[in-house]
Amino acid sequence: MTTPFLSVRDLKVHFPTPDGIVKATDGLSFTLEKGKTIGIVGESGSGKSVSSSAILGLHRHTNAIVSGEILLDGVDLLKISDEDMRRKRGADVAMIFQDPLSAMHPYYTVGSQIAEAYRVHHDVSRKKAKARAVEMLDRVGIPQPDHRVDDYPHQFSGGMRQRAMIAMALINNPSLLIADEPTTALDVTVQAQILDLLQDLQRDFDAAVIMITHDLGVIAEMADDVLVMYAGRAVEYGAGKEILTHPEMPYTWGLLSSVPDVAGDTSAKLIPIPGNPPSLLTPPPGCAFNPRCTHKDKVPGDLCTTVLPDLVPGVRSETHLKRCHLANPDAIYEQEILPEILPELVEER
Amino acid sequence: MRRAIIGIILLLALSLLTFVLFFSSGVDVTRFACGKNCTPEKRATTEKALGYDKPTVVQWTDFLQGVVVGRDYPDDPELQRESPEIVTHCPAPCFGFSQVNAKTVNSLIAEAAPVSISLAMVAVFLWVLFGVLFGLIAAVRKGTWIDRGIVGATLVVYAFPTFFIGIFLLKYVAIKWQLLPFPQYVTIADGGVGEWFVNLLLPATTLALFYLAGYVRITRAFVLESLSEDYIRTATAKGLAPRKVLFKHALRAALTPLVTMIGLDLASLLGGAIITETVFSYHGLGALALRANVSYDLPVLIGLLLLAGAFVILANIVVDVLYAYIDPRVRLD
Amino acid sequence: MAKMRKRMVALSAVAAMTAAVLAACGGGSDNPPSGGSTGDGEASAKGGTLQYLQHFPFESTDPQRIYYGVELANFRRTLYRSLVAFPFDNDPDVANTPVPDLATDTGTSTEGGKVWSFTLKDGIKWEDGSDITCEDFKYGASRAFADDVLTGGAGFYIKGYLDIPADPKGGSMYKGPYRGDGQELFDKAVTCDGKTITYNFNKPWPDFPLSVASLMATDPYKESIDKGDRSKWVVMSNGPYKVDGGTWDVNKGATFVRNENYDPATDSPDLLRQANPDQINYELYTAPEPILDRLVADAGDDKNAVTAARIPPAYFSQIEGPVADRTATVESPYTNYLVPNQKTLTDPKVRQALAIATNVDGYIKAEGGEKAGVPAESIINPGLPGYTEQEMFSGSNEGDPDAAKALLEEAGVDLPYPIKYTYGQSETQDKTAAILKEGWEKAGFQVTLDPLADTYYDVINQPDKDSDVVWAGWGADWPSAMTVLPPLFDSRQNFATDANGNVTNLGQDYGYYQSDEFESLVDQAATAPDIDTQNDLLTQADTVLANDVAYIPLDTSTFYWLYGSGITNFMTDAASSSYPDLGPIGVTQ
Repeated sequence: MTTPFLSVRDLKVHFPTPDGIVKATDGLSFTLEKGKTIGIVGESGSGKSVSSSAILGLHRHTNAIVSGEILLDGVDLLKISDEDMRRKRGADVAMIFQDPLSAMHPYYTVGSQIAEAYRVHHDVSRKKAKARAVEMLDRVGIPQPDHRVDDYPHQFSGGMRQRAMIAMALINNPSLLIADEPTTALDVTVQAQILDLLQDLQRDFDAAVIMITHDLGVIAEMADDVLVMYAGRAVEYGAGKEILTHPEMPYTWGLLSSVPDVAGDTSAKLIPIPGNPPSLLTPPPGCAFNPRCTHKDKVPGDLCTTVLPDLVPGVRSETHLKRCHLANPDAIYEQEILPEILPELVEER
Repeated sequence: MRRAIIGIILLLALSLLTFVLFFSSGVDVTRFACGKNCTPEKRATTEKALGYDKPTVVQWTDFLQGVVVGRDYPDDPELQRESPEIVTHCPAPCFGFSQVNAKTVNSLIAEAAPVSISLAMVAVFLWVLFGVLFGLIAAVRKGTWIDRGIVGATLVVYAFPTFFIGIFLLKYVAIKWQLLPFPQYVTIADGGVGEWFVNLLLPATTLALFYLAGYVRITRAFVLESLSEDYIRTATAKGLAPRKVLFKHALRAALTPLVTMIGLDLASLLGGAIITETVFSYHGLGALALRANVSYDLPVLIGLLLLAGAFVILANIVVDVLYAYIDPRVRLD
Repeated sequence: MAKMRKRMVALSAVAAMTAAVLAACGGGSDNPPSGGSTGDGEASAKGGTLQYLQHFPFESTDPQRIYYGVELANFRRTLYRSLVAFPFDNDPDVANTPVPDLATDTGTSTEGGKVWSFTLKDGIKWEDGSDITCEDFKYGASRAFADDVLTGGAGFYIKGYLDIPADPKGGSMYKGPYRGDGQELFDKAVTCDGKTITYNFNKPWPDFPLSVASLMATDPYKESIDKGDRSKWVVMSNGPYKVDGGTWDVNKGATFVRNENYDPATDSPDLLRQANPDQINYELYTAPEPILDRLVADAGDDKNAVTAARIPPAYFSQIEGPVADRTATVESPYTNYLVPNQKTLTDPKVRQALAIATNVDGYIKAEGGEKAGVPAESIINPGLPGYTEQEMFSGSNEGDPDAAKALLEEAGVDLPYPIKYTYGQSETQDKTAAILKEGWEKAGFQVTLDPLADTYYDVINQPDKDSDVVWAGWGADWPSAMTVLPPLFDSRQNFATDANGNVTNLGQDYGYYQSDEFESLVDQAATAPDIDTQNDLLTQADTVLANDVAYIPLDTSTFYWLYGSGITNFMTDAASSSYPDLGPIGVTQ
């Protein structure tokens, strides 16, 4: 068996606070191959960003307690020195942030910030680094890149800024790209362009991509695999297509229901998930989703409120994992959920 | 340009205000200049010699005329004709003639300015360097005893009056322990940069300690604020060394409020310099102002007031320009 | 603190603005100085550098514009010689008697003191090598009339005495050398015949030589270098030293080096100028504290330092052990006194009650004790001829409230009797005012304190002020009560009167005092044929003042000096106005 390119095993990120330990990520595991994309989905506070920050080592020298294993190309990123980690940041692992305006330094030109990322890992002159920045700006589709390279972030439009951020992230040809909600802050029309761009570039660079989002639409377009997180844990994990068509966890159903326009159909209904995400300090006993779950009456006894379900293979495949006590989720989805969100699809059948 | 015109109008108003206040203060300035054994007759000649017998407005317009075209002292045409050797020509822009010093205000300021500028330069250097350094350390070590120690210590120092610190340094560092020579102003031309600096160290430290606390706190606050910004995470994610993240990215963002503070503090430095220059017997603008005040030397007071006013106005313009340079977002189109 | 310093500068500007006068009896120091002894004329070793640490700026170094006592005393010993000068000596009678300096003798007077003549010595030179001529003396005196250009100084005495008619507006017909109007009148009043200069006065001036020795109004001045106000800081020396560079720096002082064109053979070094140090460095400070810190530390060059900054009470605790061996206390020529307002306290009994109730001992204690002052019994300093202990003020100095109360009751006034006391605000003066108030209130007065912050003498000389008693200080311009009583109490020279006959300014007669009896005695004294007669008349005039309670004497200020351990022949005498005398001083090398 070959080792996967990225293998995250039992990752825990805990934050001690005066009131107790906040378990932002609690035993997360997944793998990712080169050229593939994994989508990590969940509401805000579900532990998506905390987990991906752990991969970049951004919790070092904070009060966070990180444990588990993050193997990138066979190297455990949690065990290497600060300096080795620093060398990997931006070079092997790069990141794109949600809000490109606040993620770029307002006082430096776009070009110098991109060139800086290059110069950290390449011993080249400023001039060469700048030429490389221009090249990258051109690559991400910025018009007149040799002029815009000297512009400041505030002189760019939102979409252009995110393109520039992508240029900055990809300038060192990283093997792993973490995109943290890369389109959330953008106009809908621009969102698609950015996603297209990311897909193109992924193909060209053969990078592995972790796409963090709360938007299943993005997942549908981009992801090979999908990992749904809730309260710091994976609740459903498998091939993207499989999970989008046959989700087995009520939380995933909820996510699907709350996404507008999954298949480009304007008649889709918006059904938000009732209630609020649980407290990570004192998560509810049993299944963390149980207070919001409308299907727990289908589970015998008080299993949902007392026993935390394991992440186990579902009814359809060994590689489709889910964390749920429901015995026949597939049937419930087909009969109760699908007609609600995609009535036409049901009729077509 | 508009700002420059407003500045000039402000200075004009300031000069008129000084004249009016000076003569409406209730102090008989002539009596003071007349000295001991002042008979009414002696008082009258003194008043005339000082030019204080003319109406205030006439004195003011004479002053303005001097600024524009220059003046001759004494301004009695008969004296100028009879004894040209006693006439002092004060070329435009003439800010007046100090009877107390028998020198033009311009030359007095020109003599005193290098002392104050030197003092200000070294003091600013010290307080910005150490203020930013301690502020950074406090920010990076936020919440530790180092942070609390730095902030606490600078606050304690700030609470002491400037003259107390000055006298303490003078008495112990210079006189009792003789760690540094008794400070006396030495020009760079006379003693070289080394001696110039060593002599300025104590007075500049005195002046700097007063401002230090403010700079430590503002640096700490703004560095902390900028350390929590997204672009700092970006910089770290790029693989930049922590040192570079701190100095190039976090500190850069704290620069704007610092530059504003430096500009305005420099403009108002004259006040602190009065006490420091007195304690250390430095004959700079502060000491000149104090002496002019004690001896009711109106021309010098007006000259210094206008200089200070011009400096405040100029500092504000410079800060605005620097702002645009530092923060590209406020750069004018 | 800053305030106090400012006040001290302001006070010294007035209090120190005086000429050489008599010093206290004994003249020398209470504590025997270490190092060299303090004998008359005993020579110190020549050479070395004296540091003179100065705590306030001078007004000018133009001889005709100098009026600060310490500057007159120091420059007379170093830079500016005159016709006659006072010798350094612990005996005030000797130190108050002029000896020949640039002149061959101490002058001859004719016409009952109205005409004075002096003959110049041979070989006397300026620092540029040129001879000092009779014309230089004449030109120097003429500059007193140019008071529209040369402000300050003490030229008003000679200007008032020289026999030159007044113009209709009250000024002199002679307008000084810069304007030239009336030059022929001056040329008649002051004449040169070869090396002999003759001054013609409009009235007798028996004490003229004392004025010549004390003040510098009659010092020679070289016309060719005179640039009026532009010469304010120029020094053209004729003494044993000259100013390096020729110009005094008002902020920094100067370095005195030997003047090669000075010939000690024309001088009396053992009486006037031993000129021991090779060099004198004047260093200027803006306050006394750093100077005293340095003198206490006594390190390096500061071992050879002296100062005219008195030891402030805050430093008394540091003066102990070996430091105390380097101190001297001496009675100064300055007297502090109170002035009752004759316009509001019209009843003599009330003024007497005020005088009797005044707690002088308490006042001195609040000032800092015996290092600050000793009780005074007259406005005339004890060191001056004509001094006598006035009966009105003699006896107990702690105040007698009971006797005062009896007087108030005798006067038949309503008690408590309200009075307002005006003084120059300072930490020390607030304390003294509280003590005075306590004593007066015990006697039946009700006292309102009126401290004045920034400005003082120009307020208390306003005739319409409502103060009942004001504080003042004075020192004589030369060793004669002529420079005390008339300037302070002669209404004719003090009161300025407007067209309607209203008094608009009191000069120094702060109490609005006017007495025909007093003024007639002053007139007789002014025209007295000799000094002894003059002094007798002035004593009588002082008694008139005392009986009228025109003033209430408080104390004679004490000078408390600290100097470096390397100083030899430290001496304070009448000739130096009780400041450190630079005539005999020397330094160890």
